[in-house]
This record gives sequence, C-alpha cells and structure tokens, in this order.
Amino acid sequence: MGTINSAFSLISGALNADQAALSIVANNVANASTPGYAAETPNWQENQPVTINGVQYGAGVTETGATSLRDRVLEQRLDQQQQLASSSGARLTALNSIQALFTPDSGSTSSTAGDIGSDITSFFSSFASLEANPTNNSLRENVLSSATTLAGDISNAAASLNQQSSALDQQASGVTSQVNSLTTSLAKLNQQIQTASPNADAGPLEDQRQEDLSQLSQLIGINQITTEHNGISVTTTSGQTLVSEDTSVQMTSGTEAGVTHFFVGNTDITSQLASGGGELGGYLTARDQDIPSAMNSLDQLAYNVSTKVNTLNSAGTDLDGVTGSATSPLNIFSQPATVAGSAVAMSVVMTDPNQIAAAAAGAATGDNTNATAMANLAGQSIVSGQTPTDFFSNFVSTLGATVAGVQNENSAQNASVTQLQTQNDALSSVNLNDEAGAMSTLQSSYQAASQVFTMLNTIMVSVLNLGVETTVS
Amino acid sequence: MRVDPSYVSNLVGSLDQAQANEQQLTAELSSGVSITSLSQNPVASGENVLLLNQIQQDDSFTQSSNLVTGSLQVADSTLGSVVSQLTQAISLATSANNGTMNASDVKAVGTQISGILDEVESLANTSYEGQYIFAGGQTSTSPFITSTITSPAITTYNGDQDVNYLSTPNGQKIQLNVPGSQIFQGSGANSVFGALNALVADYASGTVNTTQAVSDTQALNTSLNYVSQQRVTIDNSITQVTAASDAITSDQTQLTSAQTNLMQADVGEVSTQLSLAETQQTALEDVISQLDSSSNSLFSKLQ
Repeated sequence: MGTINSAFSLISGALNADQAALSIVANNVANASTPGYAAETPNWQENQPVTINGVQYGAGVTETGATSLRDRVLEQRLDQQQQLASSSGARLTALNSIQALFTPDSGSTSSTAGDIGSDITSFFSSFASLEANPTNNSLRENVLSSATTLAGDISNAAASLNQQSSALDQQASGVTSQVNSLTTSLAKLNQQIQTASPNADAGPLEDQRQEDLSQLSQLIGINQITTEHNGISVTTTSGQTLVSEDTSVQMTSGTEAGVTHFFVGNTDITSQLASGGGELGGYLTARDQDIPSAMNSLDQLAYNVSTKVNTLNSAGTDLDGVTGSATSPLNIFSQPATVAGSAVAMSVVMTDPNQIAAAAAGAATGDNTNATAMANLAGQSIVSGQTPTDFFSNFVSTLGATVAGVQNENSAQNASVTQLQTQNDALSSVNLNDEAGAMSTLQSSYQAASQVFTMLNTIMVSVLNLGVETTVS
Repeated sequence: MRVDPSYVSNLVGSLDQAQANEQQLTAELSSGVSITSLSQNPVASGENVLLLNQIQQDDSFTQSSNLVTGSLQVADSTLGSVVSQLTQAISLATSANNGTMNASDVKAVGTQISGILDEVESLANTSYEGQYIFAGGQTSTSPFITSTITSPAITTYNGDQDVNYLSTPNGQKIQLNVPGSQIFQGSGANSVFGALNALVADYASGTVNTTQAVSDTQALNTSLNYVSQQRVTIDNSITQVTAASDAITSDQTQLTSAQTNLMQADVGEVSTQLSLAETQQTALEDVISQLDSSSNSLFSKLQ
C-alpha cells in the first residue's frame, strides 16, 4: 500500500527531475550560438515500481542526464563533403589569381596592355611591316620595341606565376601546425572520452571532438574510424595515421627542390595530400599542377619563339652587311638553354636595330627575304605543333575551361555542404522555439508537481492533527 | 519535423551571391565588355585571341600597303618621265639622221641627247626615303654610273638582281621592285644607256654616219618599248596592292564586328539581368528583416 510519505518522495523526485531538465534547457539556450554545440535533450526514466502485498505502485521519475542530439554518420558525411569543398575552394582562389594574369583583351587599345596574344601578333607583324621597307630605321626600332613588349609581358606573367606558387607554398606550410594542434587535441579528447564515457555519447567532449574533426576536414583530407570504447582514429585519405586512440602522429614539413613537402614519419605524403582534399589539397593541386601547367605553356611559347626567331635572324644579313655565325649569332632574344625557365628569363638582348637581319644571307641590305621568313613564322607550327597565336589561344581556352570546371565543381560541393549542414543543423543545433516549448512544458509540470506537493502537505497536516486543524499548520 | 534554425545565415549567403551577381553585371555595363575573365567563356576567350590576331595582321598590312604604294608610285612616275625623255631623244635623233642638218646642229643634237642621258641616269638613280628604288637589294648605293673614258661612254650598273615581295595576310605575294639592270640594261640591244651613249658618240663630231646612227636610234626605240613593258610590272603591283588593301579592309570590318559581337556586353540583356538581381536582393533583405525581428521567437510569447 502506498503511503503519503512515498507520495512525498515521489513528487519531490519529480520536482528534482524537472529542475534538472530545466537546467538542460537553460544550457541549450545559453549555447545556442556555440560552434559545434549539439543540442541536448533530458533523459527521463521511470523509477522501478514498488510491489507491496502483490500490488505494484509507481515510484516516480528520475532525470538521468542529457543526451546530445547527434548523427555521427551525417556528421562524417558533412566532414567528407567539407574536405572536397575546401579543396576546390582553395584551388579556385589560386586559379582565379592565375587567370587574372590573362584577362581577355576586349579589342580596345587600353585593354591590350599586358596581353600576350596581341604582343605575339604585334611582334610578327612588325616583321611584316619591315618587308615593306627593310632598311627603314623606325620599322626596325618597331621590331625591337614590340619584341621587348612581348618578352616583358611573358616574363612578367611567368614571374607572377612564380610568386603565386611561393605564396601557395607558404599557405600550405602554415597548415601543418594547425593540423598538428588539432590532432593533438583529438588524441587528448579520445583519452578523456574513453575514460569518461566509454559506452555512450560523451556530450560536450564529443562536441569538441566533432568540432576538431570538422576543422581538420577544412584543412586536409581525412578518414575517421570509430574504435572501441568510443574512440576515433584519424588517418589521411591515403591511410597515414594521424590519431590513434590517445596518441597523435605529428605531420612535418621540409623543403625539397625549393618547395615544401609534407611527411608523416619518414613518408613523403605530399602528392597524396594534393589529391586528398581540404585547403591543403587545393593549395598543393594549384602549386604542383595548375601553376606548373600554365608555366610550361609560357615556357614552350617563350622557348620556341626565342630560338626560332634567333636562328632565323642569325641566318640572315643585317643592315651592316653582317651575317650571324655560331660563335657570334645575331640574337634578338636571350637564347634559352632549356624549355624550363625560358619564360621568366625571356628578354631582348639586341640593342642595335641595325642588327635585325631583314636580308637573306649573302644578299644586299635592301633585300627583305629574311624579314618575310621571320614574319611567316607567325603562320608556322613552331610551338608544340601549333602557330604561336593558336597555341596561346588554346592555352587561354584550356585555362579558362579549367577555372570554369573547378568553379562548377566548387559550387556543386558547396551546395552539397549547405544541404548536409542544413540536415545536421536541423538535428543538432539549438532551436529556440523547441526550447521555449520545452521550457513551457517543464514549467507546467513543475507547477503541477508543486501543487501536488502543497496538497500532500495539507493532507499530511490533517493526518498529524488527527482532525484538530489548529495544532500543526 | 525539426528545421534548421540557422536559416537566416543561409539567406545571408544568398544575399551575398545576389550582390556578387550585381557587381559582375555592373562591371559589364560600365566596361561594355561581357567577358571579363577567361572562365566566364573559355571558348570565346580563345576565339577572341584568334580574331584579334587577324584584325591586327590586317591593320598592319594596311599600314604596309600605304608605305609600299608610295614607293611604287614614285617608281611608276619615274619610269613615266624616262619614257618621255626617251621619246624626246628619239625624235631628236630622227631629225639629226635625215641628213638636213649642218654639223653644228648635229653637235647641238648630240649635246641635247647627252643632257637627256644625264637626266635618264639621274632618274634611274631615283631614291625614295633614302633608298635607291632601281638598285635591287643594294638600295644604299647609287646604281648607275657613267664612265666617259671610252667613246661611246659606258654606263655601268652597280645594283643587283634582288627582287622584294610583300606578303598579304592571305599569302599573296606582290612584287615591290624591278632591278634597274632589267629596266635600263635589258639584254644587249634593249639597253637604254647603251643606245643613248652610242647616239651621243654618233653626233659628237658633227658628222653623222647615217647607217650607224639610224641603227642606234632603232636600238633606243626598242629599249623604250622595253622600259614601257617593265613599267607594266610596277603598275600591276600598284593595282594588286590597292586591291589587296581593299579586300583586307573589308575583311577587317567583318572581323571587328565578329569580335565586338563576341566580347561586347548586350546592354539590354545585362540591364534586365541587373534589374532581376536587384529585385532578388530586395526580396531577400525583406525576408531577412521579417525573420530577424525579435517577435519571431516563441520566447517572446512566454510570460
């Protein structure tokens, strides 16, 4: 048989439970804007009923703590997508800087400044003009000045590419220390979680661990593996362990051949990181793939134009009647030794316009055969099987297409991140309306319990006074 | 169903995008150019390089054609003068050859023809912008020099046989010069200077060897015809340059309009897009201000 005392205990338990639940709601409201905070919900547990003389009586409720609202699978999906989006985002930023060097020429005179395409045409056209009057000094000067513009614009573009490459290198090497501090923190959290909550969600610790994982996902590509006792192992996408249980492995960086390489232990994981994802993946892809590809095109252009023009000019007769030879060639451009590095080093070494060999070897200085031959280079497949202009046109199309491709990829990935974020927020983030509703419900419940308590008190007074109302109040 | 409570931040993301879009459209309107970066239209960017290349080549050819037209016209008018000088020499020689003149008149004719010889030599040594136009490739040295040590005097050619051509952007080659030797010293009998020098010698003494003088006059006549023939080459070149230049100019007009179509912003379309983007921005701002007001949370209703 239940007693008034047991009713007291039961209802005071309810008041305690309501208080605990109210504090959980208050904590949710307080952390509504905390990054990584997953909303918590109170756990209510019905107490074991009491059986007296074969009759069961309810024993009230206990609030057994809070559970974070979390979906590990969803969070992991979000992290993975975040890695892709960060990677393409970082690469896109780098590509945008690259394509800014090759802004399309609208055709107006002011927009031709720095435009390599129009420089190429101007340079070869200056030889075509020289055909009309091969001894004319101003036409010769024009050849040298258009050569200077071409060489200057190509070497400027190449130098800018080099600067961008080293800027990316710096950004990439800066990522190492951030990754290491996150992996250290993850190892520590693993240890705390395994001690504090080996079998259930660890609440705030788990929030921190998820936040670290999502920050790490912005930086590099990772795989997460859940281990026993609620631990998490983290590896790079290529499988190098970064965090195992309560230990973390530091990522190190070092310079090799002028660029930063990344290591776990003694293993060089630079190329795996490039394709792995995260900001670092984007930086490395731009540094090791996009910039070298653009640079190689400029090098090809610079090398072939320089060598072909130099060879032809040396084979002709200049205005002083001199024909170039192997030992003293009539070079217009500095003669490149190898394709690599030609673009940066491209410059005009000829200072005397008389040295432009408009005439064929052995012909008098009024001849224009060699000028015609040099002008004709514009229409010959001298750069990787294409004419210089076709080559440059293909180069800008390819670069533009790459940027546009990464742009689309990045938009799609960002949309997917937003979608997953929305799903995750719908589950995990604090919804103030929900909290207000919960608060209201708990308030009513607390008020009701208080009321029951008051009534029990009155009944208890009646019992103690044995009907004489005034003895105990 | 639970919803994402941070929808306002998503809306702010959309607002940023709308503003970026407006910025891009405004840039297009202010510059008049629709493609401001390669990635906006990679194919058009590549095509643009090719079109500008052709336009520039055409432009350069138009300038070259002006230059060579000047030199060709000088050559043509010089040869015109040569023809009239030679015609005069022939008529003088013909009158001296008919046997009616006395010795001093014959000598006078000889002196006049000698003057014509000097005149023709100076015409053959004509230069344009400092370059001798009948010297082949040896444009810096005067091509014809007459030596009077022998009688008849001998005029020698110091130029060479070099012929220059101008290439048009579509590959046509136009001859720019005719070597002086070809005009004035055509093989043997066609030599202008040979005939003139012979006639000067014929009339120098005042006594005319009619047979010789008639034969020399005949030779001068032949060489006159030969000069006229060479002049046709120059005239043809002038015609070709003019025709090529006209064709290139019309080609250039077409290319320029193609390039403009490719790169220029369609003001009407861009304006419409801009207006749409502005409407979108206003709508988003309204939505955000509605949602963001404090009365929108259930907490404000709780007492």
